[in-house]
Amino acid sequence: MSQALDDRSESIRMIRDSAGAVAPRGGDTKRVRAQRFVAPGFSREVFAEMASLGWIGLAVPEAAGGAGLGMSEAVALTEVLGAGLVPEPLIPAMLSARLLAASDDKALLDSGKVVLTAWQEKADSIAAPGTGDAPRVFIPYAGGADVFLLPVREGNRIALVSLDATGADVVLEKTMDGGFVGTLRADLSRASRIADDIGAVLEHALDEAALATAGQMLGLMEKAFELTLGYLKTRQQFGRIIGTFQSLQHRAADLKIHIALTRAAVETAAAVLDDGATGAVRQAAVSKAKHRATESGMFVLRQCIQLHGGIGYTDEYDVGLYLRRGMVIMNQYGSAALHRRRFMALAPEDVE
Amino acid sequence: MAVSIAPKEATDLNAMEDEAFRTHVRTWIEANYPAELRNPPKRLHWEENKPWYFQLAEKGWLCPGWPRQFGGLGLSPAKQIIFTEEIERHGCARTNDHGIVMVGPLLINHGTDAQQQEFLPKILNGEHVWCQGYSEPNAGSDLAALRTEAVLDGDEYVVNGQKIWTTLASDANWCFLLVRTDKNAKKQEGISFLLVDMATPGITVKPIINLEYHDEFCEVFFDNVRVPAKNLVGTPNRGWDMAKALLSFERIYLGSPRLSAYAFTRLRQLAERMGVWEEATFQDTYGRLRLDLEDLKSLYGTFVDKLRRGETLGADVSMLKVFQTELFQRITDTMLEIAGENAGLLEPMEGNRNLNPTGQYIQARPATIYGGSNEIQRNILSKNVLGLPG
Repeated sequence: MSQALDDRSESIRMIRDSAGAVAPRGGDTKRVRAQRFVAPGFSREVFAEMASLGWIGLAVPEAAGGAGLGMSEAVALTEVLGAGLVPEPLIPAMLSARLLAASDDKALLDSGKVVLTAWQEKADSIAAPGTGDAPRVFIPYAGGADVFLLPVREGNRIALVSLDATGADVVLEKTMDGGFVGTLRADLSRASRIADDIGAVLEHALDEAALATAGQMLGLMEKAFELTLGYLKTRQQFGRIIGTFQSLQHRAADLKIHIALTRAAVETAAAVLDDGATGAVRQAAVSKAKHRATESGMFVLRQCIQLHGGIGYTDEYDVGLYLRRGMVIMNQYGSAALHRRRFMALAPEDVE
Repeated sequence: MAVSIAPKEATDLNAMEDEAFRTHVRTWIEANYPAELRNPPKRLHWEENKPWYFQLAEKGWLCPGWPRQFGGLGLSPAKQIIFTEEIERHGCARTNDHGIVMVGPLLINHGTDAQQQEFLPKILNGEHVWCQGYSEPNAGSDLAALRTEAVLDGDEYVVNGQKIWTTLASDANWCFLLVRTDKNAKKQEGISFLLVDMATPGITVKPIINLEYHDEFCEVFFDNVRVPAKNLVGTPNRGWDMAKALLSFERIYLGSPRLSAYAFTRLRQLAERMGVWEEATFQDTYGRLRLDLEDLKSLYGTFVDKLRRGETLGADVSMLKVFQTELFQRITDTMLEIAGENAGLLEPMEGNRNLNPTGQYIQARPATIYGGSNEIQRNILSKNVLGLPG
């Protein structure tokens, strides 16, 4: 596993570098702020750039028109984009790319269109029941979709249909970070069937999305903590730099430990998936990472507000942006509780 | 190098494939480790653990990390990790290992030929059992404040002072000692290493009974103890740097998940015995602890990978010690919570060593204190890793 990670270090470094094209290195949040609550909540130009960089098909095999990279690269990318607060729906688009690569409509993969998969039927889930007439909920940035993909159950199989977003019944709600989520009530008579049996691919793709989201949370934690450390090193009270106070130093040390645990869990899980793990091993690794990223991520983000004091509670100061984004992604592709339950149901006991 | 001690193990174990090596080690341990000493509830005294020490010595496996020219196994870092994992997996008792892990590396790196020739073979054959004279009543977390002094008188040092928390000093016949040799220098710069025969007149050892009712630690008093000057290791007044380098072993060792992992298996047995295993509230707590343990293993793995690649570990290894020891405590806290009135028992429940919530709980207390308290570890992290101002 570690060997595999060493071999990949070059491609991981390259993907991190290329992410700078979209996530400004200095951490400039001007674009991100300007985009808030402006429909569809993200920039089509930036999304197109991501597509041209090959990110959407990053983990899709080369033979199927993707970049043929793996989850180690994917989590490195989502981490950098997370740190940059990039709003574009890359993870949902990557999930769709997985499905398209296994469908009859591979052309859609390279079309540059925003393809979002409407798989979710209830809050806090990671499984797609594929109920034909059920409203599909919590679709990130649904207002920006060109095409929706819907899994539809047919007996023991789950088929995939595509639906032109123009004229679709989509109700949008604002999210805490300035984005939108939508509920789609699809008219399936307008849809085209593009795959007969997508169930296994979708299950796999949802796991990958959960792990990529854990990577995104890691980026949020790292960046918010970097801002907080900077604040602790400059802010003065009682005639002293507050970072000299031991109670704050120890708090900072604890946050660092949570970040290190999260990085270890996320990168280990990515390596497990890249090693070709299947079934329970894959799901347990993903659940372990998503659980850690959510629990430790939100802990770190909350503490970063606290350590800033009053200024951390203002909209003007950047640290709050990370908490807001964390609130939006924490339960996407499954909450900590969901993943804890799934892990405990899956992971073999190693009691001797 | 003048010194050459023939290694007992003839085979070059580094040449084996990792998995074959693991099986080789595991098979030998399972065939040779005394069954009654698996997972001992307390740290064993020399009289109890020496059969295992001599078995390792006889096999030539006592000192996996020492170079072969000094009688060690000369294992690569990757092989040493596997070796340690197998020892831990089987629940082998810790021996009186200060000679192996501290004195050996100290002398191999800094000792004279004469010191190496005199002391290393006696560690390898179990003739010398070592203890570590570091902490003092007023130099615990602030170890560099130590005041036990050694004054040169002819070709001998005269040592006066007191050490405390000296692990298994009552078992030891030799002590490696940090002493102050220059009272005027900055506190880190006047410290030297001395090797002291515990039979020297003027040494008094007093065991300390701890919360386990166990006499693992001792106080050691030095009253005009005369130590040959040739027993000073390395350069006079440079002992602090050598001591710090030796502690790098301890920092990864203390971060190993083995204590938490062992306690965790016992937590499940206890929960089943107490009839709470199926309860939702217990399952929630258990699941959280389980994931903390698994993530600790992942984090530990990233540090082990660094060692495997031949890198030296930085100050960030303190993260492991903090998280591991506090997880160990949270697991044992949970044990008491579900144990009912058994939470007050002195002995294991029902005479079953596997149902020992109070023993585990008490053992978890010092984990956050020894090896640099967790408060000190957090100081290290905030200053050396995060760069927060002094």
